[in-house]
Amino acid sequence: MARNLKFNIFRYNPQDPESTPHMETFSLEETDSLTLFIALNRIREEQDPSLQFDFCCRAGICGSCGMVINGRPGLACHTKTKDLPDEITLLPLPVFQLVGDLSVDTGSWFRELYDTVESWIHTSKTFDPNAQEERMEDAVAEAIYELDRCIECGCCIAACGTARMRPDFLGAAGINKVGRFLIDPRDERTEQDYYEILGTDMGIFGCMGLLACEDVCPKHMPLQNQLGFLRRKMGITALKNFFGK
Amino acid sequence: MSLPLTANHPTLNARRMDGVLDWAQMLTGVGLIAFMWAHMLLVGSVLLSPEIMNSIAAFFENSGMAQVGGPLIFALFLAHFVLAARKIPFRLEGQKTIWEHAKLIHHADTWLWVVQAASAMVILIMGAIHMWAVLSDLPIVALKAAETLQRNKWWLAFYLLLAPLVHVHLGIGLYRIAVKWGFAGRAERRGLKRFATLIVLVSVGISVLTLFRFWFMVA
Amino acid sequence: MQTIYTDVLVMGAGLAGERAAIEAAEAGFSAICLSLVPSRRSHSSAAMGGMQAAMGNCAKGEGDCPDVHFADTVKGSDWGCDQEVARMFADRAPVEMRQLAYWGVPWGRVVPGKGTYYKGGKLFDKEEKEENRGLINSRDFGGTAKWRTCYVSDGTGHSVLYTVDNVCAKLGVEVHDKTEAISLITDGVTCFGCVARCLRTGELRVYLAKATVIATGGFGRIYPGTTNAVICDGGGHITAINTGLVPMGNMEAVQFHPTGIVPTEILVTEGCRGDGGTLLDVNEERFMHIYEPEKQELASRDVVSRWMTHHIRQGKGVPSPYGEHLWLDIRHLGEKHITGKLREVYEICTSFLGVNPIHQLIPVRPTHHYSMGGVRTNKDGHAYGISGLFSVGEASCWDMHGFNRLGGNSLAETVVAGGIVGKKIAEFLQGAEVTFNSAVIDAEVKKQQERIGNIIRCKNGTENVYKVRKTMQDTLHKGANIFRTEQGLTECVKTLQETLERARKVGLKSNGLGVNPELSAALKIEGQVKMALMVAYGALNRTESRGSHNREDYPARNDRDWLTRTLAYWKNEKDDLPTLEYEAATQIFHIPPGDRGYGKSQIIQAENIPAAPKG
Repeated sequence: MARNLKFNIFRYNPQDPESTPHMETFSLEETDSLTLFIALNRIREEQDPSLQFDFCCRAGICGSCGMVINGRPGLACHTKTKDLPDEITLLPLPVFQLVGDLSVDTGSWFRELYDTVESWIHTSKTFDPNAQEERMEDAVAEAIYELDRCIECGCCIAACGTARMRPDFLGAAGINKVGRFLIDPRDERTEQDYYEILGTDMGIFGCMGLLACEDVCPKHMPLQNQLGFLRRKMGITALKNFFGK
Repeated sequence: MSLPLTANHPTLNARRMDGVLDWAQMLTGVGLIAFMWAHMLLVGSVLLSPEIMNSIAAFFENSGMAQVGGPLIFALFLAHFVLAARKIPFRLEGQKTIWEHAKLIHHADTWLWVVQAASAMVILIMGAIHMWAVLSDLPIVALKAAETLQRNKWWLAFYLLLAPLVHVHLGIGLYRIAVKWGFAGRAERRGLKRFATLIVLVSVGISVLTLFRFWFMVA
Repeated sequence: MQTIYTDVLVMGAGLAGERAAIEAAEAGFSAICLSLVPSRRSHSSAAMGGMQAAMGNCAKGEGDCPDVHFADTVKGSDWGCDQEVARMFADRAPVEMRQLAYWGVPWGRVVPGKGTYYKGGKLFDKEEKEENRGLINSRDFGGTAKWRTCYVSDGTGHSVLYTVDNVCAKLGVEVHDKTEAISLITDGVTCFGCVARCLRTGELRVYLAKATVIATGGFGRIYPGTTNAVICDGGGHITAINTGLVPMGNMEAVQFHPTGIVPTEILVTEGCRGDGGTLLDVNEERFMHIYEPEKQELASRDVVSRWMTHHIRQGKGVPSPYGEHLWLDIRHLGEKHITGKLREVYEICTSFLGVNPIHQLIPVRPTHHYSMGGVRTNKDGHAYGISGLFSVGEASCWDMHGFNRLGGNSLAETVVAGGIVGKKIAEFLQGAEVTFNSAVIDAEVKKQQERIGNIIRCKNGTENVYKVRKTMQDTLHKGANIFRTEQGLTECVKTLQETLERARKVGLKSNGLGVNPELSAALKIEGQVKMALMVAYGALNRTESRGSHNREDYPARNDRDWLTRTLAYWKNEKDDLPTLEYEAATQIFHIPPGDRGYGKSQIIQAENIPAAPKG
């Protein structure tokens, strides 16, 4: 027996002077293997063509479709309705600027982050097109990739109490990004350089350890371990700096 | 490596203290946890017999440790508050934000933080009252404590509220320190949570029993 | 109206676009990338498998060199590619992989010692040399003579895109995300930039540039079921088609990937088969070794997809509510491999299908995957027809893929072509001066404003854009699929012509204010149907079978008459069919047309093939 699903969806179009933030209800008959990607597209195509939401790869790889699904930030594309109750409430991710309805602007937020943490390899070497590549142990490459897997969907930021209270907080995604370069032997930045970025309340010491990031991450990034590791590492640097002078 | 945007460069270096302050927050917390457990055992010894409690109390008073240590603990208590308060929103706007956030995301650990922040405020006031009341009326004797409680049952209510709150705050704090500093990793988190819950339950149990031991103590 | 000037304007911020922008930026030019989505969400990130480059570091890649890579690519293309371009590509690919390593890509590296691997379900031994320890490793992919696919676990595209985007951030290449180019600004000779719609506010903006690059990826969304992301809707192509001057090359060359999952059409990487996965039928028996004794599951994609479809037609498909499919079996690879090097596959199967590939079979069938065709360019990436317009990546028909692309060659193309074309753009910009004609700019803006107004106010009609789109997709799926016939294609073209009429009458149901998604779809629909017509009409006229283009009524590859590239123009806005022209597939033959070594081998010989030049 197919269920009749009730969708409570946040609606607001900031570009429409007559629009005010409110919840709107749609109902939809559940079909086999229904995901929120299919459901939202059906609602748009059959019921309200102005409904805004973001999808891209629809395969859980690109991170476009983060939204709060029944109180939990997650990727809509790989959320199956059969894992949800009859009533489904969808809200846009908090923290990020609202574009309209379920669509938010994660792009600007992350772009600013790249500049803040300088998310690129800092090296004094120049590239020689005729030389063989520099060698690297496969285990090191895999460890880097493990931290490079973040898809920047913004779920960890939206779920983070600190990020909601302080706009300059790097969040788990940002701190993890620094951690990725910290373990990369190609990056020549020193402990002090990393401390400049991470060793403040904007970075690792702003983290209050609520671990919502760890719990909502759709890619199951090792955020708890990573945050703990970086807090100890930066903590030691902090003590060195404090007592060293 | 953010460049200073304002001319007041020296103050910007204050950010470099964040790490040290975080250590201090953690260490004062650990110190208070250790103290509270010792305190609980000391007072709880009345369950074994009032004489044991009296003699432990007498030892601390005669050696002057209570007179000196008491205010020191009070200082530690205040220091921990000031340090931890760096993370607690005091403006209404911030409080509203975190409250809405907790309500929005269905996440137990986030609620635990709200509990911790709220209990901190209550403990700050009640703990201060408690410390003043006890330290200004030394020596600590089991019978005297019992009389105080029995004479005014609001004191019993006071402690029935304070003791569980303190232990809940302690348990959450212990858990938080372990996960935050990575002493417990992803694999250990679930076990740690159970362990912390158990400690809270046992501690609250001992404290409540102790209170009732005083309540029913016959002069 | 906000007007933004830059030296180089790139539509699309995927790998190809950003890589080209980096070259321009390093040469000292300002560059802006426009993107529908934040750059890192571009579809490049979804390419899991890897990039082909003849590194020759791993044991099974020993003896590999650009010559072998080049030969594989030409064979893979079924001799439809431009051999000069394929040559440039194969030669440059290893350098580009090293460049990426220097920028920070955590490539899988060679681990010396004995190991095992699967092929066709059987276990084999191999030994990696100590002297190659830590060099860039490769895995096996379809249609190649050697193990040549460089990879980063199961997230090559993701990792490379993030690295390249980091370099863009470092160099100050701006990315204006949530911005969609809706038309080119041109006086008929030179391209001046584009009119774009902001997808944060819905407002129009003008971008002026000396060089404009179309790097918007594929246009798979004109098919109903595709592995392509929802942004791969051909928006960039449409701007070029609408000039009437720029031809689309080989639009009928559409690749179907053997392993799209059923349902939802998400791709599981070729790495599954490369690492030893097998295809099974309804009886859970292998069949590819019967059709392709040599390459088996690892023949080129067009061949495997064709045999799969053939096998299903033989009654060996597995019935399901979503139509018949076959099975992909990776169970024997073991839990460690599946949750390690194939983790993305594991996640897709568990979260989208509820299938655990460690113990269960994965339902797959050939699914639309890649567009070999696109904006026709010369070997410098300069588009035909308009000066100052370039194209690169899947959006372009630079033409190293011909009629079938090899797995791992597209992701490699993005960066290799991006690098080569980027350099050419920088050369083009040296000393290039453009005089922007404000009348032309204003006229284009006005035209677009009117177009938007007409759609919002339903001036042309009230056709529902989603219904029109559905008709177009279904028609194309039915008529221009893996196997094609004259009758099917004729009908397809006819239905698409009717659909084009309807597309011209689309009007909105909603108010069209702000970032209205219905308006975004409506602005594209006419162009999309034109593209669909280019695919179908090109396929109808190409009376041979080559690579992924299979005519059941013309099963032979006809090198005598069809060693050509289709150039499809939309010369007048009101036309209801594209104008087709043809050019030689390649000016230079390093390898004369011959047998691919897999797939069927019915060939009508060409009479005189120009001899290969020396070297």
